[in-house]
Formats: sequence, C-alpha cells, structure tokens
Amino acid sequence: MSTKKDGHGALVWVESILIALPVRLALGGLIGLAGVSKLQGVQSFAEAIKGFRIVDAEEHGHLIISAAYTIPYVELIAALLVVLGLWTRAAAAALGLLLLGFIGALVRVILDESVSADCSCFGDIELFCEAGVGWCQVGRNAILLLGVGYLLWRKGGLVSIDAWCSGRSAQAGDPEWSVERSEP
Amino acid sequence: MNGSLSTPTRVLAIVGAAFVVGTVHALVGAPVSLKSATLSNPDAEVKGGERRTPNADTPADAPDPVVEDQLDETEEVVDPQQKIDDMLANLDDPEYRRNQLLDAPVPEGTMTLRRSHELWEQGAYFIDARHHDQYDAGHIEYALRLTSGEFDTDFEYANWVMGQIPQDGTVVIYCVGGDCDASKNVAARLEQFGYTDLRIMGAGYNEWEMAQLPKAFGPEGSEP
Repeated sequence: MSTKKDGHGALVWVESILIALPVRLALGGLIGLAGVSKLQGVQSFAEAIKGFRIVDAEEHGHLIISAAYTIPYVELIAALLVVLGLWTRAAAAALGLLLLGFIGALVRVILDESVSADCSCFGDIELFCEAGVGWCQVGRNAILLLGVGYLLWRKGGLVSIDAWCSGRSAQAGDPEWSVERSEP
Repeated sequence: MNGSLSTPTRVLAIVGAAFVVGTVHALVGAPVSLKSATLSNPDAEVKGGERRTPNADTPADAPDPVVEDQLDETEEVVDPQQKIDDMLANLDDPEYRRNQLLDAPVPEGTMTLRRSHELWEQGAYFIDARHHDQYDAGHIEYALRLTSGEFDTDFEYANWVMGQIPQDGTVVIYCVGGDCDASKNVAARLEQFGYTDLRIMGAGYNEWEMAQLPKAFGPEGSEP
C-alpha cells in the first residue's frame, strides 16, 4: 500500500517538474512579456483597442483608456503569480478570461472585413505572428489557453508557493491541503 | 496565504489590483489621448518641397493620372443605370479602371488617390504608417516610414523622421486604406508635435500601386 502511495508521489513530482513548472514559466513569461511591451506604449495599445471598434471611441474613450492601463497590469500580476505558483488557479482563470476576450475580439475583426486593425498583443514585438490581426494570433492565444486549461485542472504542481503553503497547512492540521497532493 | 478565499474572489482581487495600479499609472504617467487630429482641407495649396517626377520604377507607358476632369461635374447629369452600364462596358479598359481608382470614393475629410498624387507631384511630404515589412515591400516614392507606436518605442527614429519635415509643411499620411486607423493615429501624434497641415490619403498603398503611380522599394525612407 505504501509502495503504491510512494509511486504516486514520485509521479506527482515528475509531473510538477517536467510539465507544471515549464508550463507556468512559459505561460507566465509570455504573458508577462506581453504586459511589459504594452506598458511601454500605452498610447499605442489604446489606439489598438480603439482600432478593434468594439466600443465607440468618441463616446466611450475613457473605457478604452482604462482598459489600456488595466489589461497590461492584469497580465503582469497574473503572469507573476503563475510563475511563482501562488494563487495559480485564480491567476490562470484571470489569464483564461483575458485570452478568451482577446480571441473574441480578434475573430470579430477578422470576420469584419471593413475593419483593419493591429493586434498589439505584444506591443511592437511580432512574436510568431505578423502585427496585423489574423488567424495566427487566434491560434497563438488558443495555444496559450491550453496552458491555462492545464493549470486550472492540475494547479501549479509541487514546485510552487501554493504547494509550499499547502504543506504548512497540512502540518498545521488543515485537512483540505493535506490530501490534495498525496492522494489521487 | 491560501486562506479561505475562493478562486472567483482571487480573480476579482487580481483584476482589482491591476485596476488600482493602472489608475495610479494613468495619474502619474504621460496622458493617453484618443483625440483625432484636425485635418487640413484636402483642396488647400501645398506647403512642401520641390515638384517631383516619378522615378524609373514607374512604367514608362503609365498614363498621366490627371487626364480627366473631376467626375463630380458629370455625376449630377448621368443616370445611375447609365453609370453602371458604362462601367460594365468599360471593365476591360485599363485606362477606365485606373480613373475609377483615382476617383474612388474615400472617407469624409480624406483625399482621393487623384488629389493625393497631385500633392505628391507638388512636393508634399508623404508618410507611410504601415509596418516595416509592408513598407520595405513597396511604398510611395519618397515616403518616409513612421508608425504611431514608434513615438513610444523608438522615439529617436520618430524624431529623425520629424526632423525631415518642417512643421508647417504639408504632410500626407497613408496606410493600407479602407478603414485603417494607422494614418489617423500618426496624424494625431504629429499634431501633438506642432504639425499644422496634416492630410490623410483615403485610399491605401495597394490602390496607389494598382493605379501605377510612383513607388519605391526597400528601407531607404526608414533609416536615420
């Protein structure tokens, strides 16, 4: 019985180091880069949001400007949390909502041929895709969503602050976390 | 730290923290404006450099684009059905198609291809607001490349471009055409730096190229 338990524990460690940690670092790194590059040109990002024609810039320009300042910080904070493995599921959920919103906006622009907009997803950096909105960006975001889905499902693994805190909770007799990583 | 907060509460906390930090950034940082530039009258006289002639890249047999009077004068008297019939009858005529391009309708306040070419001949400064690769693949001859983002990410370059253009000169900005915002965004940035005669070419570079107007290739207008 204890051998089975040890074997499972080893598998959890392997998954944490070979899958969860790389997914967290890659996802957090890319999203963090996106946030930083947007913050280097908030004006450009605001213009990009305006170019998507989702809200009327004349009437609701303040919403666009608020979004241009808030979205990069959501990306930065969530990316940092994902990398650290702190509040991993919540940070992944925030990134998932953001990515779903981006995909919706991108598809809308792609399908509306009268709108020609720049993605500005990574500011001025053209990462894997050209600057103009296209299916490439939708695919890129969908791949990032896979990482988000994994973290929502499996959390951040054992190499994370969440796991460290859960270990302390377990020592303190918190039944919620004491079983989470050791039982299937 | 994992306390008893639920995941939705934590998501809200992340978004709320981002909103607070973003608001502080907005208060202490450079202001962001979505105000459009005030465009000059498309028909106003040009304040620019010397008259230009096309380079060797323009086909020798390309007809002079300013060969017909403006169609506006005839539009009032021609029956719409007659116009459609004429169009169908002349679809194979390259000259007819070219004139259609030159006088194609453009968004209000912007310039037709014909008017833009007139300004080009009169020495107006042209700015290509598209991306590097698009510019390098082909651009209006003598046009300088400048995107709105470069005011944030590469101000040294933006400053170099502005150094080539006097503030009271006529500046014509273009992008891919249609409803692209890139040229409007560059116009708004230039207005902030004191440029007074800003105009936007309503048609895009593709239309310019299709009308066989002067073009050039490579990055020569994008290197300081």
